[in-house]
Amino acid sequence: MNKTASPYSIVSLSTVSKIYKQGKIEVKALDRVTLKIKKGEFSAISGPSGSGKTTLLNLVGALDTPTSGSVTIEGIDLSELTKTELSILRRNRIGFVFQAYNLIPVLTAFENAEFVLALQGIPEAQRRRRVMGVLHDVGLSGMEHRKPDELSGGQQQRVAIARAIVPEPAIVLADEPTANIDSGTADSLLDLMQLLNKEKQITFLFSTHDNRVMERAKRLITMRDGIVSADEEP
Amino acid sequence: MVKLTWRNLWRRKRRTMITAMTVAGGLYFSIAFTATGDYAYTNMINASATMGLGHITVEADGYNASPSVNKRVTDSKKVRDLALSISAVYQASIRVTGQAMFASAAKSVGGVFIGIDPSQETAKTNIFLRSLIDGALFNTANGRDVIIGSGMASKLQLKLGRKLVYTTTDIHGEMVSEVARVSGIFNTGVSEVDSTIVILPVDRVRNLIAYEPDEATMISVFIHDQRKANDVASTLKTKLSDMPSEILAWHETQPDMAGMISMDRRMNYMSQFLVGILISAGILNTMLMSVMERKREFGIMLAIGMSPWRLFTLVLFESFWLGLVGLILGVIFTAPTYYYMHNVGIDLSSFMGEGYDIAGVLLDPVMKYRLYKESVISIMSAVLGLTTLAGLYPGFRAGRMSPVENLKVI
Repeated sequence: MNKTASPYSIVSLSTVSKIYKQGKIEVKALDRVTLKIKKGEFSAISGPSGSGKTTLLNLVGALDTPTSGSVTIEGIDLSELTKTELSILRRNRIGFVFQAYNLIPVLTAFENAEFVLALQGIPEAQRRRRVMGVLHDVGLSGMEHRKPDELSGGQQQRVAIARAIVPEPAIVLADEPTANIDSGTADSLLDLMQLLNKEKQITFLFSTHDNRVMERAKRLITMRDGIVSADEEP
Repeated sequence: MVKLTWRNLWRRKRRTMITAMTVAGGLYFSIAFTATGDYAYTNMINASATMGLGHITVEADGYNASPSVNKRVTDSKKVRDLALSISAVYQASIRVTGQAMFASAAKSVGGVFIGIDPSQETAKTNIFLRSLIDGALFNTANGRDVIIGSGMASKLQLKLGRKLVYTTTDIHGEMVSEVARVSGIFNTGVSEVDSTIVILPVDRVRNLIAYEPDEATMISVFIHDQRKANDVASTLKTKLSDMPSEILAWHETQPDMAGMISMDRRMNYMSQFLVGILISAGILNTMLMSVMERKREFGIMLAIGMSPWRLFTLVLFESFWLGLVGLILGVIFTAPTYYYMHNVGIDLSSFMGEGYDIAGVLLDPVMKYRLYKESVISIMSAVLGLTTLAGLYPGFRAGRMSPVENLKVI
């Protein structure tokens, strides 16, 4: 694996383009995007629908491959990895928080949070200790045995955050994490993620329309028509 | 993984139960067919063995293809002792057989005699003794008693104590005759058998056809488990390698019956296979629906680091669970029927009539169940194997899913 990127950049995108084919029409979702995300950042990608936010997040999350250009995570060039190696990278180094229906419905809050650790093959006792700690950090102590349908939307997102941070990833990618939840819950979730960023130095990258997220972000990347139209640190 | 797949199975309880019930139904059907077959075939083979030839027959070279009094085993006692030294063998009987004319004061008919030593015969190894309706087995191997079938008794107008003259040819080709007295009458239910077979004392027959005291037409070997006939025959061949004899398992001496059993068994397998395919199609449908319903969930699993292979095995595991639940339900539903059919059975004599036989072998009119361990293992493995296999394609579909595409599904 190529390890040439800066040690300070967790994520590095170099002239990345992504073209989708819709029938005979080619849609350029990303156009030569170059971007670096440093450790400990609390960044947000904003922009209108179709601007390329989710595509960018998918590429950073090793869920998709670019049509051209390169994406590296902690110095690892994703284009050199097989499907299985990409799975391992996501499992060990990337945390995901999605918009909704984030959890596995048949597993309890504890088991959902434990899921990635189990995939990593971590022994049960160690898993238990780490998951209980993280559930405590996200304010879900005492709710470990509840299944997703026994939790509110905000609590479910907290479980998703716990699942994302428990493997101690290099970066947590959050795709519209505050959509579909009330503003009070959204604020408390953002408080939580800000706290985790501050205290545990967890790197967060959001894709969002939500002004509350943008206001709290330390870096705001604005996308328009597949390009980075603004990159500022308010 | 085990916990997750088990819980996934019960997301849609009704659908899981319906699919599991089809597996259970298939198992019920499969056990019914196999157990009926196992019972009927074993019964036929054992009944056939007791009609004279045993499960394994040791005879002179070429006798089976072209029987003749001149083709005889010369060292019958040694053969019998060697056969009895094999643990799978429970009896070996020395017999002298041939064709003869049987005459009474009233009439004469052609038939087949079987010379037996009463000390080597029991009702278990001899259907004629088991079917005695009048009189008893003679006591000595050199007496003048005879046991005849009810059909022959009727034709020759014979009763117990009456005289019978039998005429045959000896090893020199000379016509020889002997007088006997009817000491027993049997009725097997197979008219062909009851009107042609005559049981004689073996030493008397030897004297008549000029056999030496240790010569015999055959040694009929009886084994505990008819399925081991080939193995025992093979062991006997090794033990008797220095003797010019032919050692044949029941399917070689009774090719008609063996062919019928083989054909019936194949048809049985074929129908079970078709049922298996139908059940597998049902499971495949259920699993495919289950996979398609969980696209987003699978997308999330792939996103957070589950490998495609692991996702494939997850679906396969769910399919296995479904098969196992079906199997357990099937065992629960089948057990009472099996218990009844194994111990009581269904008496079909009113449909079959008296003495229903195939290839001269009397069939038991009571339909019963019997399952061999191998049959149980093969049925269980086939059900679990097919149900797990039915998960291959849905598992493959799940493993091939793109996380990006599936995350778009709400």
